[in-house]
Amino acid sequence: MSLERPDDHDHDAWMEKRDFSRVERMYLTVLIWFDKRLRIVDYLEILEGLYYKVNMQMPKSHTEQYGLDNKFWYWYPLYALGSFSTLAYIVAAISGALLGFYYSPGALGASGDPTIAYESLTFIMTDLNFGFMLRSIHRWAAQVMVAAVFLHMLRVYFTGAYKEPRELNWLLGIVLISLTLLFGYSGYLLPWDQLAFWAGQIGVEMSLSIPLIGEWVAQLIFGGFTPNPATLQRMYILHVFFLPFVVTTLIAVHIAIVWMQGIAEPH
Amino acid sequence: MTEHDSPDDGVSEQPTDEDPVRADEGPARTGEERVRTDGGETGIVPPDDETPTWSERKERRQGLARTTYEYFERSRREDQDLREESDYVERDVLGFPTWPHEVVRNLALTSFFVGMLVFLAAALPPHIGAPANSGVTPPTILPDWYLYWSFGLLKLGPLNPDLALLGDQKLMADRTFGVLANLVVVGAIAVVPFINKGSARRPVEQPFWAAVGVFGVILSVTLAALSIKNLLPLDSHLLFDLTFLLPFVGAFITYAALKSMREGYMFELNRRYYRLRPPK
Repeated sequence: MSLERPDDHDHDAWMEKRDFSRVERMYLTVLIWFDKRLRIVDYLEILEGLYYKVNMQMPKSHTEQYGLDNKFWYWYPLYALGSFSTLAYIVAAISGALLGFYYSPGALGASGDPTIAYESLTFIMTDLNFGFMLRSIHRWAAQVMVAAVFLHMLRVYFTGAYKEPRELNWLLGIVLISLTLLFGYSGYLLPWDQLAFWAGQIGVEMSLSIPLIGEWVAQLIFGGFTPNPATLQRMYILHVFFLPFVVTTLIAVHIAIVWMQGIAEPH
Repeated sequence: MTEHDSPDDGVSEQPTDEDPVRADEGPARTGEERVRTDGGETGIVPPDDETPTWSERKERRQGLARTTYEYFERSRREDQDLREESDYVERDVLGFPTWPHEVVRNLALTSFFVGMLVFLAAALPPHIGAPANSGVTPPTILPDWYLYWSFGLLKLGPLNPDLALLGDQKLMADRTFGVLANLVVVGAIAVVPFINKGSARRPVEQPFWAAVGVFGVILSVTLAALSIKNLLPLDSHLLFDLTFLLPFVGAFITYAALKSMREGYMFELNRRYYRLRPPK
């Protein structure tokens, strides 16, 4: 008989004894390997606590509580619009990243010659396999996202879902819808065709007409007082770097607040 | 409190710093018996003895941090009291099961939606115009459709007031007025939840606010029409007048319709509500 105390922390011996299946053994080996180094168990406990707390926040819906769902309530399909805009945003993000592999935002001055941006777009649309489809998907995802966002706002208004505890999310929604429009506008300029150029002209004039800080705003956003190569460069950075980070974060916060506050149903 | 089963409950519910509520009772919650469930526990995990209570934490703090903890304790107690007061039935199963029900449903809806997008993209591909040329102004300059309303607001020059005091000069340039109009619209939307409060949700309950909404929707459409006025086969003065007339017409019709529906609708709603929850 050995004088050594049995090792309570000998996990390998415990695994032998328990006669686990192959999958369980693999899983436990990986788990134990990580747990010895990072002590994930502590974090799992936190997650478990969160799980229960989250569930605690999700009570029976009003409809369920008062048995109001004996009729088909005609607003319900419209409750999908928020997720539809999120979905369209994801589709646009994926197709946009793929388009970004082939697009370059160079304009060689607006003297009438085709520019680098325009040529990379013609390349995408004519030479690149699946390129036309990719651009089409990206554009339609953007259109659908904007449409869904507008309709989502109308739904929230007409079902009174913006009321008392949810003012903050309504304001956040206004910021998000404005950023979505900015997203669309900056993307509209990227092909650098005639429409894009003159839409840029309108944008420049709009910012110039802001009292006091107009010229400064035009310089900052459009890089000049007429559309020029710097305008295209800035719109590109806005479209692929600045806005994605900001909008993705805000969407996450927007959805998190919906989760925490629950969905406001008409009653 | 709806009912008190044990006489000392009311006493032990009082929060005191020297004698925390759960110190002598272990992990079991005091008010557990009073929360009605449809079987089993509520799924709410009470803090165990190891977890410092908010009062214990706040004792080590000063200033704003202490105030914060004191408030947290108040709000936690408020939650607790509300939970005990309500005749709300907490559930064993707290929701529709995520897997497979919810996930399968969501995946189906998602793939349908993405499929529609791809179909749309394949059926109606976008085209590209002539390359940018600062020397040639195209006959139509337009942003994407979703900015038409904003573009229309830039064309409100005729509404820009000119002051007799300044010798019929305009207070601001027409384009400044247009940009300002954009800000006013966004601001008006932003203040809505701070003006319209209360628990009414359905449009019939508040015909006025429904009318305001319809006004906004029609105005955005007519403003969009105004922004493309050179493409519309309509006299531009008539279009300008209609831009502001139609929203009012729509709003009045909505108001009248909802107002007349309201009586019967509210009767039905109240009857159903009180049948389920008879007044005490």
